[in-house]
Amino acid sequence: MHDHDHDHDRTVKPMVEEITDFEVLEIALRELCIEKGIFTAEEHRRFTEFAEQIGPAPAARLVARAWLDPDFAALALAEPLTASKEVGVDWLEPTGFGTPSDFTAFQILADTPTVHHVIVCALCSCYPRPILGNSPEWYRTPNYRRRLVRYPRQVLSEFGLYLPDDVEVRVQDSNQKNRFMVMPVRPEGTDGWTEDQLTEIVTRDCLIGVALPRVGVTSDVIVDTRPAMHPSGE
Amino acid sequence: MMSFALLREIAAHDQVWPRMAAKYGVENPVPPWKTSLDGLCDALDRAACNNSVPTFQERRDEEDALAATVYADLPHPESQLVALAHSLLSRGVITEDELVRRLAVIRARLEG
Repeated sequence: MHDHDHDHDRTVKPMVEEITDFEVLEIALRELCIEKGIFTAEEHRRFTEFAEQIGPAPAARLVARAWLDPDFAALALAEPLTASKEVGVDWLEPTGFGTPSDFTAFQILADTPTVHHVIVCALCSCYPRPILGNSPEWYRTPNYRRRLVRYPRQVLSEFGLYLPDDVEVRVQDSNQKNRFMVMPVRPEGTDGWTEDQLTEIVTRDCLIGVALPRVGVTSDVIVDTRPAMHPSGE
Repeated sequence: MMSFALLREIAAHDQVWPRMAAKYGVENPVPPWKTSLDGLCDALDRAACNNSVPTFQERRDEEDALAATVYADLPHPESQLVALAHSLLSRGVITEDELVRRLAVIRARLEG
């Protein structure tokens, strides 16, 4: 019997009311690995908490602060690990315990009016997770990874980003030791804006380099994930 | 490429998140087990120097190959999860028998 009288229909959000094979499989793999001593339950809990709290907010704030403060912009380019710390990200200890697979050299790529950067991991899906969160699904696909390095302007146009011919496109390949993020050029129409206002328009897509910050745009582009073409099927 | 009847059955059962979310009117863009799967992958990557656990590179290469072929009908992150199970089974890190038994135990526990 309930000891309160509010209406659950109004206060409880809907939930999936069946146990899926996938959630059972995830638990089973995890439990078997723990029992075999491959990792501990504590390690898994810590990594999961890390995965839950990361996102693009620190990187967006870093860019916004750099737009407002030339000294911080210079610091971000010269000492990106120090600048990251000022927005709450410690690259040497991103999870707060030990060194995860994301330990890397980190570099911030500054766009100019004539140079645009975009990041990729052609080999797998290396991504600056501590400061940008988990990579979007499309970033992981072989389609994006293989085509961006060959046909960057075409791939960018699929995200709705058309760059003039006089803007050079530089594709920066990441790897397990080296991670990158893009610092776009501050857009027109943002004079007098606060750091919080600027942070809102620096979306994840801008930090990867598949979009440019624009006044009024605070969400990422939705793109259909194109099927991967695997060599075995070609 | 090895094939596992158990994983094919799970894929065919098709309780994928877009379908589940639509069926129950849930708005979360990813299934609730996604961050736990991320934690599992990170924990495995760190353990990879030990015995037959795949390295980060091997795990991702196998995921790409499997998601494009055997599990091409699954969306992400279901394909990531099933591909990981496939990699662990094919390397003998876990066996199909123990996985079948464990799935039954966990389902009974969750439904109990």
